[in-house]
Amino acid sequence: MTPVLELDDVSVTFRMGGPLRRTSIRAIRGVSLRVDPGETLGLVGESGSGKTTTSAVALGLRAPTSGTVRFDGSPFPRRRRALAGRMQAVLQHPQWSLDPRMRIGASVAEPLAVLGGGDTAPQVAESLAEVGLDPSFAQRYPHQLSGGQRQRASIARALITRPPFLVFDEAVSALDVSVQAQILNLIRDLQEAHGFAALFISHDLGAVRYVADRIAVMRRGEIVETADAAVFYERPAHEYSQRLLEAL
Amino acid sequence: MTVLLHVEALVVEYGSGDGTVRALDGAELVVEEGATVGVVGESGSGKSTLGAAVGGLLPAAARTVAGDVRVGGVSVAAMTPLQRRAMRRDQLGYVFQEPIGALDPTMRIGRQLGHVLRGQGRAAVLDWLERVALRDPARVAAAYPHQLSGGMAQRVAIAMAMASEPALLIADEPTAALDSEVREEVLDLVFTLAAGAGTAILWLSHDLPAVAKRCSRVAVMYGGRVVESGPAAEVLVAPRHPYTAALRRSVPSAAGRGERLVPVPGQPPVLTGAAVGCAFAPRCPAVLEPCTVDRPPLVGDLDRDVLCHLPAPVGAAR
Repeated sequence: MTPVLELDDVSVTFRMGGPLRRTSIRAIRGVSLRVDPGETLGLVGESGSGKTTTSAVALGLRAPTSGTVRFDGSPFPRRRRALAGRMQAVLQHPQWSLDPRMRIGASVAEPLAVLGGGDTAPQVAESLAEVGLDPSFAQRYPHQLSGGQRQRASIARALITRPPFLVFDEAVSALDVSVQAQILNLIRDLQEAHGFAALFISHDLGAVRYVADRIAVMRRGEIVETADAAVFYERPAHEYSQRLLEAL
Repeated sequence: MTVLLHVEALVVEYGSGDGTVRALDGAELVVEEGATVGVVGESGSGKSTLGAAVGGLLPAAARTVAGDVRVGGVSVAAMTPLQRRAMRRDQLGYVFQEPIGALDPTMRIGRQLGHVLRGQGRAAVLDWLERVALRDPARVAAAYPHQLSGGMAQRVAIAMAMASEPALLIADEPTAALDSEVREEVLDLVFTLAAGAGTAILWLSHDLPAVAKRCSRVAVMYGGRVVESGPAAEVLVAPRHPYTAALRRSVPSAAGRGERLVPVPGQPPVLTGAAVGCAFAPRCPAVLEPCTVDRPPLVGDLDRDVLCHLPAPVGAAR
């Protein structure tokens, strides 16, 4: 089976400062991970462990300094347009993915426009229904929605092109506890229905464990442990993973 | 312990006529000196209104219909505006959700902090910036708020709130606008500084596990009332109120392997007047007949107060 996404020994180095006092920071070092079709890989780690850099590499938004990234078995195409509609991201703050001056319906339909679709209204209605929003929400603006509803709308937008791969970057971190539970359940149900592969990034091991099939633990730019989610209910091998588990 | 803050049957409404919204519907809360109290509840449960009422900071559209807030035994409503300002200056510290919005955009950080430190000089300013773990105090002091990141600005706001070593620090979702990466650091800072100065903390949050980890006491708010309060460890492990139990069940780390999370069904209420019965009744799994008619009484038992017609006994799991 070809993995949807494969990172092989990927490192990213940031260079900072002017020419005379140039320093470099290795954000991630030798990261290898694999996401199979229909699988959710959880990525958990503390502040500055390199989670966000890894997600940028996975989405093809940042070229690795060394190592290779393969999407659907081949390296990223030079033209990003070729990837349109095949990978999507859901971010921490839904207001980051919704234009405040666009109605929800238009925001949700936008990815289809890139693919050159015709009448998008039925697809928008279907996508909104899937995430549990009434079709009438298409006419509203983002500020007229609650935080949970906005996150649902941004998930609808991410799903409308039926992408085989999604990145959830701290997608539930900014939500109320009870809303968080609804969104986590929604992600699980949608994945069951559509079978997309996902990279679910969070600092909260509890949330990651709940949605992921396998979990990779990052620390200081390296992956220290990758194991089945089941292991993280009992006794993970690495000492740092154990500490994360105890902190729950 | 002496009581520092006493909120007594406080009722606060916004707007008037048909547009009236009741944000607090008889909230009761006691904070003792040096205590760390977490107030948890969903958006719209009245947390922020409660926090603002403590310092007499309610917006003009708000009306206090009934009840009282006493800080150090003195009623906030009875104070003259001058006395209220003095109380805020000497006894209270506030940290809000939006750090950059809490700072004056036209004034350099050093100068703003200098105002709070009341002429203690530049050395004290730099000392405080260093105490909130800002790496380059001199550079930060010379910066304007828009030149700082959210995390840095929140550190400055914490320094300003703590500079007078207040008796009570009110932190209204201090980390909600921050990246999850900076959250823990900022919370560590707040709690370390407060412990050092003997400051009591009133932390308004929706993050149940975080509150359980850091606070000694917790008060759970729903529909403008504190529905349950007590020692944090006990309340969150063995809740007496069905709402607390429902909240706890929706925390992902509480779900065992293969279990499905149970979100609290329905939506939180928007009250337009006094709730007729229990505000949680429409969403409650154990609703009884009196719940929709009578306001639940306060049932106190071994330091565990709960507002419910059918409270679980102390120690029993709900």
